[in-house]
Amino acid sequence: MAILVDKDSKIVIQGITGREASMVTKHALEYGTRILAGVTPGKEGQDVAGVPVYDTLKRACQERELNTSVIYVPPAFAYDAVMEAIGNRIKLIVIITERIPRRDVAKFLLAAEKANCTIVGPNSVGVINPEDRIKLGAIGGDNVERCFVPGEVGVVSRSGGMTAECSWMVKRAGFGVSTSVSIGGDPLIGSSSRKILSMFSKDPKTKAVVMWGEPGTSYEEDVADFIKEGDFSKPLIAYIAGRFVEEMPEGTVFGHAASIIEGGMGKPSNKMERLRDAGCYVADNFNDIIRILQEVMVK
Amino acid sequence: MARVLENIGKELLRKNRIPTPDFLVVSDAEEAWKAADELGYPVVIKALVTVGKRGKAGAVKFADNSEEAEKIAKEILSMTVRNFPVERLLVEKKLDISQELYVSITFDSSKMMPIVIASSAGGIDIEEIARTQPEKIIKHHVNMFEGFHLYEAKEIWSDLGLAGSDLQKATAILWRLYQVFEKYDSTIMEINPLAITSGGEAAAAAILMGVDDDALYRQPDLSDKVEAGSDRAWRPLTALEKEMVAVDQSESYRGTARYTEMEGGDIGFLCGGGGGSLLIYDALLRFGGKPANYTEFGGNPTETKVTGLVKGVLSKPGVKSFFMDANITNNTQTDVVAKAIVRALQEMKIDPKKFPTLVRLAGVNDDEAKKICLEAGIEYHGDDITMEDAAQLIIDKMKSAHPEEVN
Repeated sequence: MAILVDKDSKIVIQGITGREASMVTKHALEYGTRILAGVTPGKEGQDVAGVPVYDTLKRACQERELNTSVIYVPPAFAYDAVMEAIGNRIKLIVIITERIPRRDVAKFLLAAEKANCTIVGPNSVGVINPEDRIKLGAIGGDNVERCFVPGEVGVVSRSGGMTAECSWMVKRAGFGVSTSVSIGGDPLIGSSSRKILSMFSKDPKTKAVVMWGEPGTSYEEDVADFIKEGDFSKPLIAYIAGRFVEEMPEGTVFGHAASIIEGGMGKPSNKMERLRDAGCYVADNFNDIIRILQEVMVK
Repeated sequence: MARVLENIGKELLRKNRIPTPDFLVVSDAEEAWKAADELGYPVVIKALVTVGKRGKAGAVKFADNSEEAEKIAKEILSMTVRNFPVERLLVEKKLDISQELYVSITFDSSKMMPIVIASSAGGIDIEEIARTQPEKIIKHHVNMFEGFHLYEAKEIWSDLGLAGSDLQKATAILWRLYQVFEKYDSTIMEINPLAITSGGEAAAAAILMGVDDDALYRQPDLSDKVEAGSDRAWRPLTALEKEMVAVDQSESYRGTARYTEMEGGDIGFLCGGGGGSLLIYDALLRFGGKPANYTEFGGNPTETKVTGLVKGVLSKPGVKSFFMDANITNNTQTDVVAKAIVRALQEMKIDPKKFPTLVRLAGVNDDEAKKICLEAGIEYHGDDITMEDAAQLIIDKMKSAHPEEVN
């Protein structure tokens, strides 16, 4: 078991013929992920590493049964691509595209919610389930096993790069991951940390979760509330980066767009306190994740 | 986010039928009193800078005659408001205010929807209103497919106790403000105070506006009037930072590079990734190091771009080491990064055997990256150590190279 993706995932890539998307398609196929179709308007009849390309998602859905889409469409066209996926009853949409206008994101998130469709991202590096060898997005690159081996620890991260590094820390501790999810570093995203944790909560395979947090937003505070409400009882090991941002003038962005402290909200120290108070393992040093995991997983 | 100067924001509001006081923009004291004479007294003189809370910083003052206007203009022009030197002023007709309201529209990242916040207690910070008079605040989320209706704006003000002509006027302004928010791809649109004058008129007396950098491509009215990414600096860009912006834009088709100078410091620091850079900056401070800058790149940048960035990091005065630390890459080619580091060191005639240098770089093509670094005499680590281990190592290296500075 895992969350979001498993053997029943029927995957299509929208914007498959782009430079990055075609490279990622090759890597995913080499890893063992089955990609059934791609969509790029005007390129029907072509293929990318053997994956057939269709002009529209509707055409692809007529030929194949599809339920999962990865979006690689440029920012200006991303809104329409996501609406196209929702309109064709795709149930999971992972958006890799960065820099989509916020107004567009707010709109398609609302449309997805109404259609009961799950969105991960925008600005996600992807989702991976190593046991079933399914990866969506660039996550893991061409050497997936270096960071992602099958196991019982879930990873959820606001940073794409740190999704890999956190999963590698899990491996270094002697374990593997059930699913690793890069939720994206933007202020408006489809799946917040809390939403992913609620999925991990129900996944029997996942025994513990590692969470990467950053300044800004209330994602980590919401997780603390979620645990306090009794809805998540597995061990959660959290690392909150960017404590130095509290010493800088308020309202300055460091790193990802969502990483901003405003009106006294979004301070890492406050997030850490709230999580500790809720009973989480909050790592002071990133290295501590290894020791805490080793303690937690033998219990 | 791109912060919008008050005069530009107010022009946009006026264009969309939201009244503001009449104003003029000036850049010296003489122009200021002449503008004030033209507008008629009393006037408000404000520092024209993109940072908020100018009143608290003493950069908003009133004048009743030419002499006062000249004196105040001189005073404010000599100020630096939250690190931004004041170069221009907004001279504005002072309103005769009978009631101050507050309104803002932004995106709520818990509900992922636009949120309208209104209060009948304007003129002070919203945080302060929330603390002292929470009952005077109404929050309303907007369903973007249904839009924000006029009646909803009316209900908000009515619930806050407005009536009669004030209710009608405040309703029209709030409704139009939401249209402006969407039309210009705003991320924040605040009027504080929204003034009701003793003559019964309503006007946006002071505003704060930010627009979405990522939507500037479809905002021709704005793209040349705002500075993209202005929320990434808490002061005007330094000369070196401007050079690094040019480095980033030189090959804009691939990868991003961001360089921020920090005060003092001796560790020249380069990181891959927005998350990793937060981790390593924290780690360096926690382990007693002094990073000289905050720098990150991502998205598989070109060799030229990384070379430019490394040279920037190394050219800040006081930098006594070079430290590259990145998470294991998903798609960034580490051999390209390694080549760039070696090239920058060579071009700057820095010998990594003498100048404390350490690289932790793992991921795509790292066998090659290792070879390149080792051949150039650079201490290289891949996934044999953690990112934090590497931070500790560079600090140890600095201590042994400069034992006199250990305290």
